Amino acid sequence: MKLSDVVIGVSMTMLAVLISYLMVYGGLGPIASYSLRPLATSFLNYTYNPWNAVYSALSPEAVTAIVWDFRGLDTYFETSVLFIAIVGLVALFRGAGIAQGISSRGLSIIVKTSTKIVAPLILVAGASLAFHGHLSPGGGFQGGSFMAVAMVLIAITFSIEFLHQKGLSLSTLLTIRCVGLLAIAVVSVYLLIKAMLLGGSAYIFQNMIRMNSSYSMPSWFIDRPLGGTLFFFNLSESIAVIGGLTLGAILLLLREEELRAVIGGEERE
Amino acid sequence: MSDSLLLLFATIVVAFVINMAISLYGVFAKPSLVKKFIALTIFSDSINSFAILIGFRRTALGHPSIAVLPSPPQSSKDLEGFVKTAVDPLPQALVLTAIVIGLAVNMFLVGLIMLYRRYYGTTNIKKVRI
Repeated sequence: MKLSDVVIGVSMTMLAVLISYLMVYGGLGPIASYSLRPLATSFLNYTYNPWNAVYSALSPEAVTAIVWDFRGLDTYFETSVLFIAIVGLVALFRGAGIAQGISSRGLSIIVKTSTKIVAPLILVAGASLAFHGHLSPGGGFQGGSFMAVAMVLIAITFSIEFLHQKGLSLSTLLTIRCVGLLAIAVVSVYLLIKAMLLGGSAYIFQNMIRMNSSYSMPSWFIDRPLGGTLFFFNLSESIAVIGGLTLGAILLLLREEELRAVIGGEERE
Repeated sequence: MSDSLLLLFATIVVAFVINMAISLYGVFAKPSLVKKFIALTIFSDSINSFAILIGFRRTALGHPSIAVLPSPPQSSKDLEGFVKTAVDPLPQALVLTAIVIGLAVNMFLVGLIMLYRRYYGTTNIKKVRI
């Protein structure tokens, strides 16, 4: 055991003792108290409040209301971070493409058949999670990752060439990702453009009626709350996430032959 | 009853912090990049679970409800009852953001580690001579 290991171990132990002492004895305020923080009370009070519609998101789900309405610009940049990470991954693997005929058989017939049964169920469950994000726990990102799991399952059991033959090449997946991100941007400025055309004023990421602005997204669809922009944001985000995560997983699944040009192995050998 | 509950909470908090410290030790001390990466994901997961724990609350009626209205409230009294029993939704929203960004960073890191392994033939950073 070297000296550096001992130093790291001792300093981590001291960190653990100090942070837990601070937290247990009130560093972050009382834990598991009876009263909520004032900010949380405000969020819970205005998530579905038709009596104060100028402050409300009119969505029964408080977390989605925070993510896409009260802190909508934050979430847009967070989605952009995911996009930039995927762009970085594409840049790392630049020059690599899905090659045909290396070993395109995939896994055994048993795995293929069970994947055929399971994958549509996963897709439907993910879609339900994404499209009901304004009514029940869930949302665009969660549903999109759910559906991306089904796509990765197909890519592993049927081989990535199968996806390529079905039209899901790397550039197509990147295009799907960009379309989702663009749809979020369009929904976020929709009311602003409408107000500019018809006269009056509106805000970016505006959802319901606000002060100085009488424009509003639809808050009801037939007999249940729609949450205005929240439904459209969840829809676009799930499309963006399914494209992006599938692209990332396929890039990580590329075979040795396809990556030889990327890593420049010939020069070193 | 109340004291034992608070003791339980303090134990959980200390357990989370010890988990963070052990995973940070893994990030610093392990030579293999894959083990560093696993320790990093454990670190972010324990921080996220801890953040959700901070949003927990106790209510006079017993356990709290999730931050979702079961149906649109008919009167402002329904809304007051919801505010009295629901947990804090803000840590959940922040943790969702943190998970998305963590996933993005993790995907990029895995790509880097795979290219590193293919280029140098090993993921042990102490064996590589440049």
